[in-house]
Amino acid sequence: MQIDVLEIEDTRAKLLIYDADPFIVNALRRTLMSDIPKMAIEEVDFHLGPIGTTEGGRVADGSSPLFDEIIAHRLGLIPIPTDLKRFNRRDECDHEPEKSCPLCTITYTLHKVGPCTVYSGDLEPINGPEFRPRDELIPIVELSEGQAIYITANAVLGTGKEHAKWQVTSGVGYKYYPSVTIDDSKCTDCRRCIEICPENVFEEMDGKVVVKNPENCSLCNTCVDECPDSIKVEGDRTKFIFSFETDGSLSAEETLKYALQHLADRFEALRESVSELK
Amino acid sequence: MIIPVRCFTCGKVIGSAYEPFRNRVENGEEPAKVLDDLGITRYCCRRMLLTHVDLIEEIKPFS
Ligand SMILES: [Zn+2]
Ligand SMILES: [Zn+2]
Repeated sequence: MQIDVLEIEDTRAKLLIYDADPFIVNALRRTLMSDIPKMAIEEVDFHLGPIGTTEGGRVADGSSPLFDEIIAHRLGLIPIPTDLKRFNRRDECDHEPEKSCPLCTITYTLHKVGPCTVYSGDLEPINGPEFRPRDELIPIVELSEGQAIYITANAVLGTGKEHAKWQVTSGVGYKYYPSVTIDDSKCTDCRRCIEICPENVFEEMDGKVVVKNPENCSLCNTCVDECPDSIKVEGDRTKFIFSFETDGSLSAEETLKYALQHLADRFEALRESVSELK
Repeated sequence: MIIPVRCFTCGKVIGSAYEPFRNRVENGEEPAKVLDDLGITRYCCRRMLLTHVDLIEEIKPFS
């Protein structure tokens, strides 16, 4: 299996994988979705009672229009910047699993008095400013006059297998490398394919219809239905265009490297346990 | 109610795009172009913003 990087940005990547089989590529897809660890808020403590005064001097109580569990759930879904070298899983940390320490937990506080909108950027990390959520504009809840929120929250490592809030990637997918050919002897240059192709694969050049962007093709065969005589669309079953995005807690490059290493380790573990069989 | 943090289908964070999206559409921009511009390309994520009804204002007085 060979991987070429077609495009890579901080949070998205597009790869060309060749000399591979669908099951291997699918294993990579599933690893990216469910086996990459990242930090996410897991425990939230809500402080009740009077926790602030509004500008008018009115005492604000710890309450909000949404249920506490909805707020806790929304906090859990916020991408938390993750440094995989720095943190342990809590159950593998050097203490009892009920305890926490700075090697396995990031603690946040959030204190806001209404009327206002509470955003992900209002979370204050205690461990250091590098853990401030990079996506600062996610609304958590809106507060009106007399309402306030004061919470402490703990983020821990987990994987997408346990809960979707620990899923690093989204939109992980692949397709066979498309090959689109036009049989010039049968093509009448009617341009119907240019009109109907949803991915703009075809183009007109000097009065002739040509294949301009074969990689855009999604193998939908709309053009073949229209013109079965001259257009041929095929997918190469050993070559794949693979793409994914991350939620920003890890970069696309870190995520891919971790996934490939994790997959290799798992195959190695399988090989070892099979070789022990008599 | 309030804009969901993530797309129900694929899990992309879309909550942070809601306020820019709403403001720009209110200022007369075309929703499709704003969504493209915000990097929301899949139709699962696009429907999250396009079909959202912001009812939090209605329940805000209650706690
Ligand atoms: Zn620990
Ligand atoms: Zn989506």
